[in-house]
Parts: sequence; structure tokens; C-alpha cells
Amino acid sequence: MNCPLHDRETAAQLLGYCARKLDTESQAILERHIAVCPECLKFAESQRAVWEALEAWEAEPVSADFDRRLYRRIEEDGTWWDRLVRPLRPLVRHWNVAASAAGVFVLLAAGLLLNQRPAVPEAAKDTAQVEQVQPEQVEHALDAMDMLADFNRQVKASADAKM
Amino acid sequence: MPERVSKGMGGATAALDLDAELMLRVKEGDGASFGVLLDKHRSSVVHFLYRMVQNHAVAEELAQEVFLRVYRSRSTYEPTAKFTTWLFRIATHLALNSLRDGKNERLQERLDDDSNDMPVRQVRDVRPSVEQSMVYQARLHEVRQAISALPEKQRAAVLMHKYEEMEYSQIARVLNCSESAVKSLLFRAYETLRARLAHMA
Repeated sequence: MNCPLHDRETAAQLLGYCARKLDTESQAILERHIAVCPECLKFAESQRAVWEALEAWEAEPVSADFDRRLYRRIEEDGTWWDRLVRPLRPLVRHWNVAASAAGVFVLLAAGLLLNQRPAVPEAAKDTAQVEQVQPEQVEHALDAMDMLADFNRQVKASADAKM
Repeated sequence: MPERVSKGMGGATAALDLDAELMLRVKEGDGASFGVLLDKHRSSVVHFLYRMVQNHAVAEELAQEVFLRVYRSRSTYEPTAKFTTWLFRIATHLALNSLRDGKNERLQERLDDDSNDMPVRQVRDVRPSVEQSMVYQARLHEVRQAISALPEKQRAAVLMHKYEEMEYSQIARVLNCSESAVKSLLFRAYETLRARLAHMA
């Protein structure tokens, strides 16, 4: 066989041989070659030494409270939106106050949008913003839309009831 | 993010991936399946990150972020690749960002102060003599320095190849490069390591 060391692609086979990751047949072919090729023999010996040196490096065990900390973060992550909208829930119950607040909010948002319109944002910045949108943000936005839709239905229902 | 992570990954083997099936159950609201995935991959993710950033506290913090992102992405998860490819892609991404952000600026100092991060439990012998322990610590120090001196992508490739026993094709998917690029990365990385560590035989 040609010496695998002469080509990087085939040299990867030698790495596989040293890591004993090759199938039996390929392992045997390389073994026969290494027996007659001093260059490959030197490579294999030094690679085995590296392999053994790396094996000596054991990682520390994972902290006992790893899962507890993770689940706490998951819980916090899931409830931040709830906590954000919790103060607004009583307003939903008093719909007339909420309707006024929503009206003010819409007016303020429209005003802000109109003020920002002349400034043309850079294309690169736009892309970066889009990339940063997380799926849960979209979920939360949809939740918020659902909540507003419910609210509108309630407003309409009570208006109909009064008529 | 998960959509971008999934892009470009081969999906042929994914159908048979048990982890992917568990993740699909998580998607359907089965929290216990997330626990199974966490049990199965917690150690390998933390150990990979530890060897990448060489700081246990930072590694655990990053690993928490990895699993948090996996959980957050459950609703949009599609098994377009092996679950571990996706998992290690997130882990590698976070580790590289952490290294680039300079969160490990004091890495060299920590490496010089071995007592900080190399507890006795890392020594394999049950009761090593003082001399054995010192030799072991010196060798470990050399290994850690050799790994940390590798360019980031080479380091990630070596760690996945050596400790996670990943195939070239999977490493390629994690690092988002071709299989031949991975072979080249590994060849260069081991070349450097041989120059620094071969005398340890």
C-alpha cells in the first residue's frame, strides 16, 4: 500500500488506527504497512503517546446541584412573562380602565413609530435584530395577541349585554 | 436559533435516533423525557465544556445554558440531525463565544496555579505517593497547556474526536464544515500535540 502519511486525507486513517477506530481489515492492513514503514511507525508511536496523555486528563464530576439549578432556571425562564403581565391582570377585570390604557398605549406606540419613520436603519442592524428573535418571544407575542383577543371579546360581550 | 442550528445537517440517521424521539416527546409536553436526556448527556456536555474553557464553574454555567436552550427550543424542534450533533453544536457555539468574549482571560494564570482546579480526585491511583502525584500533576498540567494552546476549532475537534468518540462526519456537522476540513483540522491539531506531548510516552 502507499504510505498514508503522504496524503492528509489518508493520514486520517492512521489517526483512526492509533485510536483503534478502524474495522478489523483496515486495522490489519495498516499494521502490516507500519511494520515496514519507519515513518509511519514513528507517527503511530508518538500518536499513541498523545492518546495516552489525553486519557490521563479526567474531568471533574458534575456538581450535585446541577439539575436543581437548571430546573430553577427553566422555571424562572418560563414564568418571567407571567410575572410581567400579572400586574395588568386586574385591569383586564376592570375592562373600562383597561380599554382606556390600551387606547393610550396604542396612541403612544403610533406616535413613536411616526417619529422614528424618517430614520432609515442600517441593513446589517436589521439582520442582527431578526437573528436575535427567540422562538419564545414569538410565543409570548402570540400569547399577548390571544389575551387581547379575549379582552376584545369580553368588551364586545358586555357592550352587547348593555344594549 | 434552533432552525439555524438544524440547517445543513443530514437527516438520514436522525429517524433512528432515540434521543431525537425523546426530544419529540419533550416537544409534546413530556417533561420526564427531558430529564432522561439531561441524565444521559449532562456529564459529556459539562466535561466537553470544561476541557474547552478549562474552568469548572464556567463550564457548568455554559452547560446550564446549553440545556436551557434545548428546553426553550422544544416547541420548534425538528429531528433533522442526530440529537447529539445539535447538542454539541450549541455547546461548541457557547464555548467559542465564551472564549472570544474573554471570560477566560485568567486561564493562563489558573493553569499556572494548578492547586485551583485540579483536585486530588483527578488522580487515578487510589493512594498515590507524593512523588506519583506530583508527576501526575505535572503531566496533567502539560496536557492542559497543550490543549489550551490549540486554535479553538482544532481544540473542539480534538475533544469531540478523543473524548466524545465522534465520527468525522458528526464533528463536521457540529463545526459546520466539510469532513475533509475536519480531517485536516485534526491532523494539524494532533501534529501540534505530538510535538508537545510525544515525550510523555
